[in-house]
Order: sequence, then C-alpha cells, then structure tokens
Amino acid sequence: MSKPSDFEAGSYVGGDRVPGAPEERTLAQEVRGYLLGLGLATLLTIASFWADHTREIYASGIAMALLVLTVAQIGIHLIFFLHITTDPDNENNILALAFGVLIVCLIVFGSLWVMIHLNNNLMPMDKLMQMQR
Amino acid sequence: MSTPALRLAHDPALGPAGIAPGQVTGRGAGGPAPKRIIVGYGFWIFLLSDVIMFSAFFAAYAVLFKSTDGGPSAHELFDLRNTAAQTAVLLASTFTCGMASLAVGHRSQKWTQIALLVTGLLGLIFILLEVREFSGFIARGAGPSRSAFLSSFFTLVGCHGIHVSVALLWLGTQMAQFYAMGFREDIRHRFLCFSLFWHALDIVWVAIFNLVYLVGSLPPELLP
Amino acid sequence: MLGKLNWQAIPFDQPIALAAGAFVVLVIVGAVIWVVVKGYTPYLWREWITSVDHKRIGIMYCLLAGVMLVRGFIDALMMRTQQALAFHAPGYLPPEHYDQIFSAHGTIMIFFMAMPFVIGLMNFAMPLQLGVRDVAFPTLNSVSFWLTAAGALLVNISLVVGEFARTSWLPYPPLSELRYSPGVGVDYYLWALQISGIGTLMTGINMVTTVLKIRAPGMNYMRMPIFCWTTLASNLLIVAVFPILTATLAMLLLDRYLGFHFFTNDGGGNAMMFQNLIWAWGHPEVYILVLPAFGIFSEVVSTFCGKPLFDRRSMIIATLGICILSLLVWLHHFFTMGAGGDVNAVFGIASMVIAVPTGVKIYNWLFTMYGGRIRFSSPMLWSIGFMVTFVIGGMTGVLLASPVADFVLHNSLFLVAHFHNVIIGGVVFGVFAGYTYWFPKAFGFVLDERLGKAAFWCWSIGFYVTFVPLYVVGLEGMTRRMQHYDRPEWYPWMLVAEVGVLIILCGIALQVAQLWISIRERATRRDLTGDPWDGRSLEWSTSSPPPMFNFAVLPHVVSDEPYWSIKQQALARGQLVAPEPPEYGPIEMPRNSPTGFVTAFFAVVTGFSLIWHIWWLVILGLIGAYATFVVFAWRDHREIEIPAEEVARIDRANRTARAEALRELREGVTR
Repeated sequence: MSKPSDFEAGSYVGGDRVPGAPEERTLAQEVRGYLLGLGLATLLTIASFWADHTREIYASGIAMALLVLTVAQIGIHLIFFLHITTDPDNENNILALAFGVLIVCLIVFGSLWVMIHLNNNLMPMDKLMQMQR
Repeated sequence: MSTPALRLAHDPALGPAGIAPGQVTGRGAGGPAPKRIIVGYGFWIFLLSDVIMFSAFFAAYAVLFKSTDGGPSAHELFDLRNTAAQTAVLLASTFTCGMASLAVGHRSQKWTQIALLVTGLLGLIFILLEVREFSGFIARGAGPSRSAFLSSFFTLVGCHGIHVSVALLWLGTQMAQFYAMGFREDIRHRFLCFSLFWHALDIVWVAIFNLVYLVGSLPPELLP
Repeated sequence: MLGKLNWQAIPFDQPIALAAGAFVVLVIVGAVIWVVVKGYTPYLWREWITSVDHKRIGIMYCLLAGVMLVRGFIDALMMRTQQALAFHAPGYLPPEHYDQIFSAHGTIMIFFMAMPFVIGLMNFAMPLQLGVRDVAFPTLNSVSFWLTAAGALLVNISLVVGEFARTSWLPYPPLSELRYSPGVGVDYYLWALQISGIGTLMTGINMVTTVLKIRAPGMNYMRMPIFCWTTLASNLLIVAVFPILTATLAMLLLDRYLGFHFFTNDGGGNAMMFQNLIWAWGHPEVYILVLPAFGIFSEVVSTFCGKPLFDRRSMIIATLGICILSLLVWLHHFFTMGAGGDVNAVFGIASMVIAVPTGVKIYNWLFTMYGGRIRFSSPMLWSIGFMVTFVIGGMTGVLLASPVADFVLHNSLFLVAHFHNVIIGGVVFGVFAGYTYWFPKAFGFVLDERLGKAAFWCWSIGFYVTFVPLYVVGLEGMTRRMQHYDRPEWYPWMLVAEVGVLIILCGIALQVAQLWISIRERATRRDLTGDPWDGRSLEWSTSSPPPMFNFAVLPHVVSDEPYWSIKQQALARGQLVAPEPPEYGPIEMPRNSPTGFVTAFFAVVTGFSLIWHIWWLVILGLIGAYATFVVFAWRDHREIEIPAEEVARIDRANRTARAEALRELREGVTR
C-alpha cells in the first residue's frame, strides 16, 4: 500500500501538529521511520549495557556516559515515535516539552544540591542514631 | 463524519476581515483549533505533568540512594539480565504500538487488533518480569520497608509498573471499543492519547533502566 | 469489617467539637431536606450538578470557596480568641484541639477557599474573555470541580467522624509519621488533598490547552486580555508543581500505610527531604493563587479608570517572569534547616529578585490610574486596598528573604503576619474584586454597592488591626501556633488582634447581607445591557447572564481591547457595528454528564475507607471509579445541538438591548 494514510488535515488557518500523529506520508515511509527509530534505540540501549560492563570508559565517567546515553535514547523516542519536529507548526509542543524539561531539571538537580548540603551540615536521623550507639 | 464541537463562524461585519499578514501558523490566532489538536495537546501537557511526578520520585531516589541502613544495596541486588529482558520487551512493544497507530490510520480492523494484542502481551510480559523481580527482592528480605533506598526504589519502579498496568487496562478497553464501534473519531482521538501514553512510559523506562539499574549496579567506587 | 471505624470516632467527649459537628450536620441535612421538599432536585441535577458549562462550574467553585471561607474564618476566630485568653491561662481550647484548628484553618483556606475561588473565577471569565464557547475539556472540568468538592467534604467529615491532622497545613515528618501521629487525622488530610489535587491538575491541563489552542479568530497572544495571560501562567505552574505535591504526599502515605522509610527516623529516612519537596510545590502554589488575582486587578483597574492598561507588554513579560522565578525560590521556607551560607544566599537573592517584576506590575497599575477618570466602585476599592496592603506584605517578604533576618524571624508571628498580608491583601482582595466585578455577568443583577463598600472598609481596617500586632509580637519573639504563653508584653497585642478579627467578622457579615439583600432586590438591580461597568473586554459584549453558548457568532478580534473598540466604532457610527444580524447556524455544545459527580462520589467512598482501613470498601470504590470511566467512554451522544432559530432568538434579544443602550448613550452624549 502506498497511498497516503487518511488523517484529517488541520482544517483552519495555522494547522499545527498533534504530538504523536504521523504526518501524511506513504505507509512504507512511515514503517521505515518506526523501524529506524527501533534500530537506533536498540543500538543505544546495547551501548548503555556495554558501558556499564566495560572498563574502556574512564571509570568515574561511566555514570555520566549513561546519563548522556539516556538523553540520546529519549531523543530518539521523541523524534521517531512521538514525531517531535522543529517545523513552526510544532512550536507549542516544543515549548511545552522545554518547560517540562526545565521543571524536571530543577526538581532533580535542585533537590540533590539542596539535600547534599543539608545532609553535610545536618546528619539524617539514622546516621545520628548510629553514632550514638 | 467528524462534527466540530466548536462552531467557527466568521462575521465580517464585526470588523476588518483577515489575520495580520505573516501570521505564523500554529499560534492560535486563526480561531479555535480542531478537536484532534486540542485533545492531543491536552494529553501532551498531562504527559509532561506525569513525567514531572516521576522526576519527584527520581529526586527522592537519588537523595536516598545511599541510605541502605546496613541492608542490601543496588549493587548487590540488581540482576541486569532481567533488566535487559524488560527493556527489550518494552521497546518492542513501543514499536508494535507505532504499528497499531499506522493500522488505525489506514482503518484496518484486523491489523489494529493484531498490533494492539501483541503490544498488550509484551506489556504483560514486562509486568510479570517486574513482579517476579519484586517478589524475589521481598523474599530475600529486601522489601520496601527494609530501608529508605529500597522504599524509594520500589516506589519509583513500582509507580512505573502501575502506570503500565493501568495502560494495559486502557489498551483492553481500546481494543474493545475499536471492535464494537469501529474507527469513530472520538475513539481514534483516545487511541492517539493511548499511544502517546505508551511511548512516554517507554521514555520513563529508558531513564529508569539507565539511571536506576545500570548506574545502581556499578560498584560503589565508580559512583559519583 | 469496618476497619478502625467505631463509635469512639464521634467526639462525644469534646463539647466544642461535638457542637460544631452537630451544627454542620444539621445545616447540611436541613439544606438537603429544603431542596428536596421544594422540588428543586431535578433542576439542580439537570442545570448544575451535571453541568459541564464553564460558567456554572465557575459559580459552583466560588460557592464552595465562599462556604469554606466561613468555615476557615471560624477556625481563625477560635485561634485568635484562644490566644487572647491564654496569657498565664490554659484558654478554652486544649492543645490537641487547638492543633487541629490551626491545621484545619490553613488547609481549608489554601486548598478549599483560595484555590477554588481563583479557579472558579478563571473558569467563569476566561472563555468569555477569549471569545469562545467553553474550555478545552468541559466534562473534565466538571470532574475537577467535583473532586475538589470531594476533598472539602472529607475534611469536613473529619469534624464529625474522627479527628483532623494536628500537624499544621503542611504535615512535616517525623511528627506526621505513624509513630507520632497514629490517629486518622493525618490520613484525612492526605487523602483529601490527593483527591482534590487530581482535580486541580486536571484544571491546569484544561486551562493551559484552552488559552493556547482555543481563542476567537484574530486574537493573537498580544491581544489576549491580561487576565488570560495570568490564567495561563498560573495554570502552567499548576501543571508544573502539583505532581510534586502528589508524589510527596504519596511518599508520606506509603510511610504511614506500608511502613516505607522515606521520611522516618529509622531505616535511613530523611525527614528534611519532605520539607524540600513540599516547598518545591508550596512556593509556586502561592503564586498560582496570586497571579490570577493580579490579572483581575489589571482588568478592574483599566475598566474603572477608563484607560487602557499601561504598557501591556511589560505586564505580560512581568507575569511570565514571576511564573518562572517562583520556581527558583523554594528554599527560603527552610533557611534555618541548615543548608549553609552558599545555598541560602542563592535562594535569598532569587527571592528578592522576584520582587522586581511584581514592582513593575504595581507601577503599571499606578500609571494606569494616573490621568484616568477613576470610579471608586467597590471593585476599584478592593484594588486600591490591594495595592497598599500587598506592597507592605511584599516588603516584609523581601525582609524575610534575607537569610540573616529570617534566622531571627522564621516561624514567628512576623512570618504569619507577612503571609497573611500578601494572601489577604493579594488573593482575598483580588477574588472579592473579581466576585463583585463579574457577579452581574454571572447572575444578571448588580450587587448592592453600599454594603460592598462597607464590607471593604471592615476587611481593610480589620486586617490591619489583626495583623499589625502580629508583626510587633513576632519581632518581640512570639512563635507561631502557641496554645498559651506567659510574656506580658505580648498580651495587649493579642487583645488588639482579637478586636481586629471581630472587625473582619463584621466585614464577612456585611458580605453575606449584601448577597442576601441583592438577591431579594434583584428585580430592581437588573443588568439589562450586559455591560454594567462600561467594560473593555469581550465578556461584556454578551448578555447577563450569557446564553449557554456564550457567543452566537464568534467575534473577530482586531485590537487588544476588543469590546472597547467595538463600542467606540458603534458610538461614532451611531449604529451597531454589525447593523444587520449575522447569519446564524446551529451550535453544537457538549452534553451534560453525571460523570464528575459520580466519580467524586466514588472518590469520597474510597478516601473514607482508606482512612479507616476498610479494605473491601476501598476495592469497591476503585471498581466504581473505573466503571464510571468506562461508562463515560462508551457513550454515543456527546453533544447537543442548539437549532439556529433558537440561537437567532437569543441573539436578537441581546442585539435589541444593545441597540437600546447605544441609543441612550448617544442621546446622553449629544445632550
């Protein structure tokens, strides 16, 4: 089948894209897109497992390498499975995603920064109780 | 036939017609968006809020990672073969869900049901693997009430598992609805939301298997 | 069989609680009986309970908020009285009871008064201002309201069955852990907030989508009313931070129910992490409350000064700046927990920086007033009262933002006075202004002005008489939440504060009287044109109240004060801008649905049974909730169609009223 798939086009001025809906292309093209995404994701996943076991990467950098691989894998998912693109119709979706990423970073890295300082200055209860034994 | 929920009628007598020239598309100045875009965007925002909730659990996990209270640590507990199996199964199910999206787009009842069934079975295998891992930990005395680290691990990964289970319930309902009512517009909108949800769950799993399991199973001297 | 529930749950041995609970039960039962006997049930069910109309839902939110304002205020009255009496004396409230009262006061005022009031006003006015027919997800809107009401119901049930939390409005562990709070109080709090939190998150998603995707043609971002911009910013914050609240409360629930160790003293738990996470939610929460209030003031000030808002662009940028900055300051709530100088300094500076965009807004309002023809109607009085009061509160906030000062003043009554200063001066005055401003639009008649002004003066004077003494004793070292004390220098100030709260009581009584009398006199107070204040934005172009579909034909927007430009054109031409009626078509609107009400019913059942450990009922409740969802998903008829003739008839009435008003205006002008 090579006829374009039957999705409603944006029916008003400024038709923007729904996140997740494949654009109007042929079926073969769409399947190829998903297969490419699957392939890349698999490769990166294998890379993650390899990084965890190998000693080729500088030892203390393994955790950082895994973080980078995580971001890359998430990127593959966003592009190939969720169809996030940079065309102007997608603006709102990308802005929302950027906002979400900002919040996630604030929560995770902000909490870590604060809690590490708190723990350094004020020992959590159990360690305090261990010391008193 | 699609019926718009908001009627768009342009009354030229109310003012000069037309939008400013050069008006960039997608900025909403052309009137209310079609239903499909509204539903999709709303669900996208919900997904972001869900990811933010996961990040709060992630933050707790990161803070409590070393608080093992003398109990088992990540390095001692995690079996990466199980993790690899779960990852492979969920990734495959994301792909089959994508295939289901294409089948829905082409209005093929047979391929929709097949793709969704495979997706569901793969999801079920994922859950069974996770249940097996959890019960194994609990049997070894490494249950969630053993230490703060284990509490946060079980909560984070378990929350993901609950999301997958709820998604499987949704998947079943979706299959039933497609079968009973065909490719009606609102059911397709809901399926769009489902596939967004399913892909997002795989995204969260990417973060979990990398940053929880893989980082966690590094020997302690290699941790940051 | 019934878990932990038994007859001891009812406070037979506590006279005050028993009397209060009995009173509440009598009022509710009496109201239900009155409704049923008078035959209002079908009307209520059809037109309000199952309504998915944003206007109806907005009104119900505000009604819930009004009732909870009274409940929360009674708690405040009891607290002030206790502190006025308890100098070298036990007062009349034993500590266990007093602790529940201040916890309930804060919880109710934030979650079940301020949030619903603000959300209700946004619900009512925002779609009208955007020139559209409803929000993005009308049935979800109904679910959101009913879940919020469910949470409020659970908190009020704790008055009669069981007890409320004694851990204040944010339940810090380890006090809130099972070991130190073994009763059901904290569980009531947690489940009520989890349930209503889901509702609020749904509202956030709904409104963000509406503002970004559903606007009248021609309304680009720069032409959006400022109230809609603040709605967007506030709801973006809801979407961003309510998941943190859900997660953190879930962690505490897991500790309490399943023996997890997130925040416990043993097992490696970290109680400090609770404060970190909860304030990461808690600080943006107060901006969620105050940003829509800022939006209301922008609308009110420009309307009642007869001038466009001064410098819209900087107003919008300031709004978005406040939105982002509010996410960067949360540690200032626990400077004293010991993160150290570096961390404290960063968050302290960020907390001071957030005063800058707020100041920009204040200057813009002042410059809007300058050179305008100011009408001192009660919405404008509330706005001016806000400007003075909120600025003072903001200044004490900047003072507290310095970690050095905060080490002295943390958790003192100075802090309590500060946040009441900004919440009452900002949020409460804002919702009162919005309530008075949009009341005619909602109900078709204007509120009594004299009583409204009297209420304003009582609230304003009462506020200062109550809280300035608290600033003083805070500086003198009085800590918050004290059930008794023995410092003689504090005592006279507590007495003054008691007088203040009685003045506020007069204000509330005047507001109740205003509502009662205006309803009785509504025939003479009718708003016939739909535009009682000479407004500038699109909601004033509809009739009062607007038809279900808001606009017969969606307006085409060409300026940032759409209705004002229409009115000027009409005045100039001497006829309606569209002299011929437009072509009417049938309008499809979403069908009413009991989904929201039924979901909330199962939420209350599930919440109550979780609190009392009635496990079989929990399972039933969850099954019921899932079944509701499936039934809703399976319905075939989701919309009703309003025929074109009906639309035409309704719109013609509106056009006639407006043509009449235009004629009178022109005669007034030319005379």
